[in-house]
Amino acid sequence: MCYITKYNLVVRFGNKDLAKYPFLKEAFSYITKYDFKLEDLDSKDYLHLIYKAAEKIENYLFFGRYEYQINYSKTHETIVQEEVIIFLISLLLIKSISIDAVTKKFALLESMRFEKYLISDLNTADRDDKTIKLILYKIFEDLFSTKILLEVDVYNFYKIRINDYLDHPIAFQEKEWNLINRTLHNGFVYLDGNEIVRLFRNELYLLIIDRIKKMSIDRIPDTIMAISKSIKSRWEQMHPSINAPVYNAVTPPCIQHIYDQISKGENLPHPARLLLGTFLIYSNKTLEEMLELFKRLPDFDEKITRYQLEHLAGKRGNSKRYFVPSCEKIKLENLCYETKICQGISNPTQLIRKKLDI
Amino acid sequence: MTDTLSFDSNNSGKNGKHASKYQNAEPDDKNKNWLEGIFRKYYFYHYTQLELGELINEHEFGFRLFDGKIRRHLAFNDKKELYAYIIKFSPSDIFYSSSRYQSPTAEIDQKGWIGSDLIFDIDGKDLHLECAQSHNLVLCKDCSFISKGIISKCVGCNSTRLQIIDIPCARCIKSLNVEVKKLVEILNDDFGIDSECIFVYFSGNNGYHVHVVDKNFYDASAKKRNAFAQYLMGKGYLIENLGIRRNNEGALIPMSNKILYNQGWRRRIFDSIHLSIQNHKIDDKFVKKYNRMQDANNNNIKDAINTHILDLSAKIDPNVTMDIHRIFRLAGSINSKSGLIKAFCKDLDSFNPFVDACFIGDSKVEIESKLNIKISLKGKQFSIKTGKNTLPEYVAAYMICKGIGDIQNQT
Ligand code: SF4
Ligand SMILES: [Zn+2]
Ligand SMILES: [Zn+2]
Repeated sequence: MCYITKYNLVVRFGNKDLAKYPFLKEAFSYITKYDFKLEDLDSKDYLHLIYKAAEKIENYLFFGRYEYQINYSKTHETIVQEEVIIFLISLLLIKSISIDAVTKKFALLESMRFEKYLISDLNTADRDDKTIKLILYKIFEDLFSTKILLEVDVYNFYKIRINDYLDHPIAFQEKEWNLINRTLHNGFVYLDGNEIVRLFRNELYLLIIDRIKKMSIDRIPDTIMAISKSIKSRWEQMHPSINAPVYNAVTPPCIQHIYDQISKGENLPHPARLLLGTFLIYSNKTLEEMLELFKRLPDFDEKITRYQLEHLAGKRGNSKRYFVPSCEKIKLENLCYETKICQGISNPTQLIRKKLDI
Repeated sequence: MTDTLSFDSNNSGKNGKHASKYQNAEPDDKNKNWLEGIFRKYYFYHYTQLELGELINEHEFGFRLFDGKIRRHLAFNDKKELYAYIIKFSPSDIFYSSSRYQSPTAEIDQKGWIGSDLIFDIDGKDLHLECAQSHNLVLCKDCSFISKGIISKCVGCNSTRLQIIDIPCARCIKSLNVEVKKLVEILNDDFGIDSECIFVYFSGNNGYHVHVVDKNFYDASAKKRNAFAQYLMGKGYLIENLGIRRNNEGALIPMSNKILYNQGWRRRIFDSIHLSIQNHKIDDKFVKKYNRMQDANNNNIKDAINTHILDLSAKIDPNVTMDIHRIFRLAGSINSKSGLIKAFCKDLDSFNPFVDACFIGDSKVEIESKLNIKISLKGKQFSIKTGKNTLPEYVAAYMICKGIGDIQNQT
């Protein structure tokens, strides 16, 4: 067993690496040492960075894309400074848009972007390249105050103390991440490379949301204000508030809960998507109507969603039509929000029929 | 010894009256009055049995007195103060928080929680043992008739208001031991808790309390403790963890070449179903073996695995583990459900609760038994007949605590 813990303190990042992780304290120090202040953003010198941040955000919000390019054609110092400032501008923009769903969608796509860097860094580093692993340790220790250790003897599994692991909200949010479904040994939770990256993304998502929430700003620079206003109105045009798209009948509480989550910009776990999809198909919604709803999910991808819905409806290849899961099944998935109106039913669809019978 | 600690011995002695001026039991309840005296005598002579840590002033104490009233949120500056209280009031049950608090006497949300040992409760009742059917009794709450075995209606009056009186046997204790060992093994292997940090106590009646004193878990929140409990009980285990997934037809198939660290529940389950995994990898050999197994189980391998999980799981009460404000029976104190004490088990295999937890004196007293029953205590067998019997105090106390005998006038 080998614990690599202490010497991550002496790791020197290559500057380029830091550009990919602008949320790290060490990256931030690149701008603080030049006495950068938010008011400076009013100056023309920063306009190109503001535009770059705005473009990134528009890509996230309106196209669900996160193809963002770091501009490497500069000195290392400048690259890092610019990326940190772009990151800050992005947070400012999102803060001043101040729509929960926007914040969440931004946080998700932004954390997915960083996740992509991390995966590629982990993959390109050869097996013995400890530096990149140390970056990972540093991120976890700095940002999430979790110490990661490496089990070198067994396939380079990562491990985290049980008590520390349970400090991560994901451990209580998703079944596969509950303690019971983790590999425990000798006081540690074991995670493979993919899992540690997934944990990273989830934590980073929460961290970004938290940073936006806690940001206190007296005055937002005019250029940024103008851009945020235009993004905000474009978003509001695309997302009028949801009216429950089910006849005039009662909406089953479990389905209502999903609608509520969608309006809040929350991401949905797979079983919830399945429940919603089958339920909408049952309610004779057209594919376009359904897409309209799924579009609001932060990780919406039109092609995939289209495919999945057609699959559920039995319109793909030899796939059979999926029926709406039973209340029992829904309960098992922790998606049931039973109220009085559910009395005596065993499938949410019965609530529609109940109403139609009258 | 100070005055407050003194035991009013004028009233004690052969006649068995240990009443003091602080007697709490109703004057006409002979059984309770007698027990209260017997308990007081035990605490007077054996107060050093009470197991108390260093920081006694940071724990909450609670007592049930013989008038049935419960007093909670009490605290004591030191052991002497506590001993004096106990001997004065001779409680029927003594409880103490595993948690330490800044102000233990405050209301729950004002106490200032510092931390707590991990506690696991294994109760004989939850094991649904077969032998319990033959030796447990049922008391009718309406006509007070006592029947043997497990029934759903009183044979005397047909009432369904029944209360089970458990009279655990040696086999019950053996089964409980097996459960304790399963729990301890998971705590060792998966949680990395050293056996030296695990303290097993006989609850005083029909179960065990397992205390884990480990700084790694001392400040764990109730939510985390609940996750520990779910883990130990094997609750919510996804079969995909075993490298098996559902294909499009809904059949469970192995994920070839998947790397899985063979530890924790995975190892326990694989060992139990005799499906071995080499080098933490789902290889061809595994797949072959799995397929054979699938055939042998009529393709219902999921149920088979779930049965194994149930067997392997620790039968703890999750509510006890997650409730950080619960007060627990103090080790060394008498359990009023049996007259036995909550006792530390140094070695589970050699521990015999009917001997090692029985501390009441052996002067003879007369007792009226409500039924014929065999009781074994302090290594002796007693065949008790309905009606009057002359028995040692410790047997009498056991019977009265169980509600199957009445103390006779001590003249
Ligand atoms: S009882 Fe059925 S319909 Fe009602 S909320 Fe639960 S799952 Fe939905
Ligand atoms: Zn009766
Ligand atoms: Zn038994």
